[in-house]
Amino acid sequence: MKRIALIGNPNSGKTTLFNGLTGSNQSVGNWPGVTVEKKVGKLKYDQFEAEIIDLPGVYSLSSISLEEEVTTQFILSKSMDLIINIVDASNIERNLFLTHQLLDSEIPMIIALNCMDIAKTKFEEINVPKMESLLGVPVVPITASKKFGLIELIRVIEVAKYEPRFPEKRYSNLIENTISKFESVLGDRLLATRFFEDGFKADKLSKRDSEFIKSLEVVLEEEKAKFDLDFDMVLPNERYNHILSICDQVITKKSVEIESTTDKIDKILTHRIFGLPLFLGIMFSVFFLAFGPVGTFITDGFVWLIEKFISLIAIGIENAGMASWVSSLVINGIFGGLSAVLGFLPQLTILFFFLSLLEDSGYMARAAFIMDRVLRKFGLSGKSFIPMLIGFGCSVPAMAATRTLDKPEDRKITTMIIPFISCGAKAPIYGIIAGAIFASHSYLVVFSMYIIGILVAIFSAVLFKKTILKGASANYIMELPEYRMPTAKNSFLHTWERVKGFLIKAGTILLGAFIIIWFLSYFGFVDGTFRLLLDEEIEFSLLGQLGKFLLPIFKPIGFSDWQSTVAILTGFVAKESIVGTLGILYGVAGDVLESGTLLYPALQAVFTPLQAYSFLVFALLTSPCIAAIAAMKKELGSWKWLLFAVLYELIIAYVAALLIYQLGSLGMGTLLSVLVFVIVIFIVFSTIRRVIKNKGKTCGSCSGCGVEGSCEKIKK
Amino acid sequence: MTLNELKPGQSGKIVRVYANNLRKRIIDMGLTNGTTIKVKKLAPLGDPMEILIRGYFLTLRKAEAKTIEIERIGDKA
Repeated sequence: MKRIALIGNPNSGKTTLFNGLTGSNQSVGNWPGVTVEKKVGKLKYDQFEAEIIDLPGVYSLSSISLEEEVTTQFILSKSMDLIINIVDASNIERNLFLTHQLLDSEIPMIIALNCMDIAKTKFEEINVPKMESLLGVPVVPITASKKFGLIELIRVIEVAKYEPRFPEKRYSNLIENTISKFESVLGDRLLATRFFEDGFKADKLSKRDSEFIKSLEVVLEEEKAKFDLDFDMVLPNERYNHILSICDQVITKKSVEIESTTDKIDKILTHRIFGLPLFLGIMFSVFFLAFGPVGTFITDGFVWLIEKFISLIAIGIENAGMASWVSSLVINGIFGGLSAVLGFLPQLTILFFFLSLLEDSGYMARAAFIMDRVLRKFGLSGKSFIPMLIGFGCSVPAMAATRTLDKPEDRKITTMIIPFISCGAKAPIYGIIAGAIFASHSYLVVFSMYIIGILVAIFSAVLFKKTILKGASANYIMELPEYRMPTAKNSFLHTWERVKGFLIKAGTILLGAFIIIWFLSYFGFVDGTFRLLLDEEIEFSLLGQLGKFLLPIFKPIGFSDWQSTVAILTGFVAKESIVGTLGILYGVAGDVLESGTLLYPALQAVFTPLQAYSFLVFALLTSPCIAAIAAMKKELGSWKWLLFAVLYELIIAYVAALLIYQLGSLGMGTLLSVLVFVIVIFIVFSTIRRVIKNKGKTCGSCSGCGVEGSCEKIKK
Repeated sequence: MTLNELKPGQSGKIVRVYANNLRKRIIDMGLTNGTTIKVKKLAPLGDPMEILIRGYFLTLRKAEAKTIEIERIGDKA
């Protein structure tokens, strides 16, 4: 079967075309770099079958981020039979740069000229046959979002010549000479052009044996002397000149330039004064809709449905007369825990849905643009904002999103601080415990959890940057894509992808966890015999024993019973299960799902306000759940870093809870809360002041701006 | 003068791109010598800046903009 690779700039509609060709349920986002790994799908049309590979979008084959590296390496390996290069017709000049890089290979290629609908509003006409003859490869105009031109594209794919293309020598003689000199050493035109642009960084040439490098160096020095221009700019410059002449011949511009819709929207959304309040307003609305009255209303309805369903099953089991341990397993173990988790699903779905609307429309890129100034203070870039925002929903997709960051250090820092961002799974813990203990002040307590999480994340980012990851100097350069109307289909697919991830987790890891917890909490030794325990005997359970054993460690941070210790332990499996476990352990399993308030008396009997607060802070900051740890391992890439991150989080959580509980116990509760309040106000105030003060003079002194070397050059 | 000195609405032509962390990317995104740049606006907090180049919108920090030498050209309304 033929292997066909989809290659194009970020945001050129590549994933939409992939979905159109393969009909698969993949996510699409209007955020540069949503495709984080290469995806494979099958194209079937009549008798024709082919494998389609969707690669992360790149602007150029000179990669700077990890996901771009995936694409570059894949192209250099030449392990495909055909390239479909997607070119955004509305942004044709820059898109053709990558096209020119690809044309230097001998891989057969077809250009899918996408977004023809938007291009038609920008240009009078695009002469496709002319473009074909100038580029020397087939060009098919399409509008992937409207499924226009896909059949024509498939027909062209079907009849394409699947044999090596002879790369045309399209540059000036001087440059072509240099390329052939490099080619004579490297043996490949594509690699020669890569070397021309990237030097020894290209295809890890610096790792070849020293003799080879030396011979290459000699040629490089010879060729460098021939050009006045900076050597790494020679080829890009030539390419862009070439592109300009193509555009001149192919595009008929409109006589009057009209203000684009994007311009109009951005006049408001990134406005100098209104931009920031609007941004805060939008973020607040998203969280208000997900976790405020609307979200709660939908959740209540959903939970009511689950409860009806479970009671039906419970009746069924009773009527069937099954063994006592079976009904205990099903009702207490599986449904008791699972319903607490599923009850949280509507809010998560709403959050994911709005985030995908923001991504698909193109606003997320603006959010990064607006937030960059703030995040830079903490050594991060505006792009870190997106992973952190997703982190409020769930750490797992958030960590995967760090792959769009350019430097490995930035990715590490962002990955390690994401667990401190209070994820959606922790919300029910705050909701129920704060509701039980702090009553009318509960929303303040919940809000303070989010603030503490953000502050600790910022503190950790600065700490990591100053100590172990000094190389971090988050770069920022980003395209602002044109605003697009999010399509219902794409938004729902996008949301479904994320919800599905959560459901799979609930159905596998969580289900297993609840069965284990049920077994550990309903079985134990009573008077020397191992048996199923009655509800009032839960103290003798295996889990109870473990909790009692570990209790001394948790005593200093205010834990007074083994139940809360055990609940925290089960949180390592999944944060959602902390509430479920408390329900099981305090013997109110079947009722927790109906309403959290049924847990209130048990909680009120166990926790003082101080203990509750300490418990919440520990639950917030401690090591994330198994699923997030697995994601973290993937992004950090080594066990050493993973161990460090998890230990760091455990220690931070313990120290924070210890401080709160011990200082609080000294009768300094009021004092402490005043102190915290003052500190928070001070930090916020001084940050704002500094930002205002520094407005417009980013590079006051040369030290520390990250471009020291170049500053000197400018002075000269 | 350098790119960061341009005010929103003003245009310039690139004379040279000096070394910085993102030099290669800046070049590949189309900021080659002789290219016309128009500054669209600054972010609400004063930095990064948004520029119009080769028909699309690019945002970059002033720190990098400072390493791009330009010459001012007549402002079109």
